[in-house]
Amino acid sequence: MLSIKDLKASIEDGTQILKGINLEVKAGEVHAIMGPNGSGKSTLSKVIAGHPAYHVDGGSVTLDGKDLLQMEINERANSGLFISTQYPTEIPGVNNVEFLKMALNSKRVFLEQPEIDDAEFKKLIDEKMALLEMDERYRDRGVNEGYSGGEKKRNEILQMAILDPKVSLLDETDSGLDIDALRIVAGGINHIMGPDKAVILVTHYQRLLDYVKPDFVHVLRHGKIILSGGPELALELEEKGYDWIEEN
Amino acid sequence: MDAQTRLKQIGMPRRNNELWTFFPVAKIPTPAFPEACADTTDYSDETDFAALLPIAYNARPMQRDIADNASEMAMLKCNNDFGHTVLNIGKNAKASLEILDNKVAHEICAERFDIHVGENAQVHIFFANPADGVPLRFRHFRIVQEAGSKVFFSEIERGSGIKRTSLDAFLKGCGARLEIRSLNVLDSDDSVHHRITIRHEAPETESVQFARNLLNGKSNASYDGSVVVGADCSKVFSSQLVNTILLSEDSSVSVKPVLKIYHDDVECTHGNTCGELDSEQLFYLTSRGIPEKTAKEMLTRAFAKELFMPLEDSPAKKRLEQVVDSL
Ligand SMILES: Nc1ncnc2c1ncn2[C@@H]1O[C@H](COP(=O)(O)OP(=O)(O)OP(=O)(O)O)[C@@H](O)[C@H]1O
Ligand SMILES: [Mg+2]
Repeated sequence: MLSIKDLKASIEDGTQILKGINLEVKAGEVHAIMGPNGSGKSTLSKVIAGHPAYHVDGGSVTLDGKDLLQMEINERANSGLFISTQYPTEIPGVNNVEFLKMALNSKRVFLEQPEIDDAEFKKLIDEKMALLEMDERYRDRGVNEGYSGGEKKRNEILQMAILDPKVSLLDETDSGLDIDALRIVAGGINHIMGPDKAVILVTHYQRLLDYVKPDFVHVLRHGKIILSGGPELALELEEKGYDWIEEN
Repeated sequence: MDAQTRLKQIGMPRRNNELWTFFPVAKIPTPAFPEACADTTDYSDETDFAALLPIAYNARPMQRDIADNASEMAMLKCNNDFGHTVLNIGKNAKASLEILDNKVAHEICAERFDIHVGENAQVHIFFANPADGVPLRFRHFRIVQEAGSKVFFSEIERGSGIKRTSLDAFLKGCGARLEIRSLNVLDSDDSVHHRITIRHEAPETESVQFARNLLNGKSNASYDGSVVVGADCSKVFSSQLVNTILLSEDSSVSVKPVLKIYHDDVECTHGNTCGELDSEQLFYLTSRGIPEKTAKEMLTRAFAKELFMPLEDSPAKKRLEQVVDSL
């Protein structure tokens, strides 16, 4: 489904952050990416999404065989990619619900489907907000405007639920969530996940993985995946830290 | 001294006149005045050319009185090339006044509004429709506010031509408050100029100036805002903020804040930002599938809308927001 081959990317001053990433994600799989601060996890998701701060030096990223790196940012999303960044951006003045509707309709137009009508959209958003136990305040406010850290993360999962992407890359969605919110958000991810979809979770802690069970765990360090394993790897890392890997 | 005599005395606006620093003064045609000045009011204190012009051209004065305690919503139509409107708003009155633009093409339009706002009165003066077909438009406001009065002055400038709004406000009574909001959405060769002077002449008076510019093409905006706080005026609050987004390489903005403060116990601020659309916000919207062009439109509209958000809900606010939505 998502295939990343030897991906190298650098920032404006020429410093290379991603130094050859390889990752194969198949339909129905949940992957977790862990790794020390500054190792390049967030950079990886932004490069895949097409953030203008990064320059791709080499390698490829394909989704269902289509070259994502050649696409505009919105085309990547409309082709089924969903990236939740570590720090969701606040957009005062753009209403959250109108934004969601615009995003969904953009996807529909891209896929040559008719735009969603108001009643159908209302039903959809009511259902997803109920799933994520979100209160009414989310409707009237600007996108992420004045939201707490946890509220922003929950709003990201609402967007994921509405857009129903094939592959989701969620960067530290668990950070800032209280105990109940973590359970609700994880429930939401599991609900959206299915045999024809895939999820990549970037996280520092095991607790999210207790709810959303990964099939594979990868360790990213200094811009490369240095170790991959099963779910037990996350537990081992929690216990022993990252230096243990290099010592062995 | 009548307006014609005074005009001749001060002469045509020039760049070196500080009231006209940023204005393309060469575009002002030399006036050809009527024989005699009908209005014999003494204008010897008036310094702004644009404030005198309609009077010197014998604009027929239109007077409107709003009684004490009355509540009124009205449209003020500007049907002449030169207009003079006198508004007296009574004590405790509430008024919402929309100024509609001239629909008849004229080479030059100059309007003057003299507005007296009685004690504790509240008035919203606003205009938002595009003034196309007028290559040059002057609009001058002289607002005198008594104690406890509140004036909201909101405008949206768009459409072609050169426009200049000048405003002299006199906050005469304790607790008077003036809020000016100005949105300029300009393209091609449009240019909009503001020359605002707010005189705080009593304690505890407050003024807010908030301008936002969205400039495309070769458009140009300028904002010259002065605040004067008198010597006996304690606990005065004033703020001035101009935010500009340049949507093209060739658009430009000039801002000149002037503060003259003769009292220590006051809070006066001014700020000025100029930039492009926020790239992180643009990334966020496009990363959710929204085409870049649409995303940019959403962001510019949001920027414009924020200006009027703090206003209380009212038909005026609704009208302003509708105009922003249609941009
Ligand atoms: N736009 C940028 N400009 C400058 N430096 C950057 C930029 N993006 C990433 N970096 C640098 O690249 C390195 C990797 O950053 P990245 O955010 O990808 O790390 P991370 O693995 O997500 O870390 P964390 O666990 O703290 O979130 C860091 O040293 C960071 O400072
Ligand atoms: Mg990160």
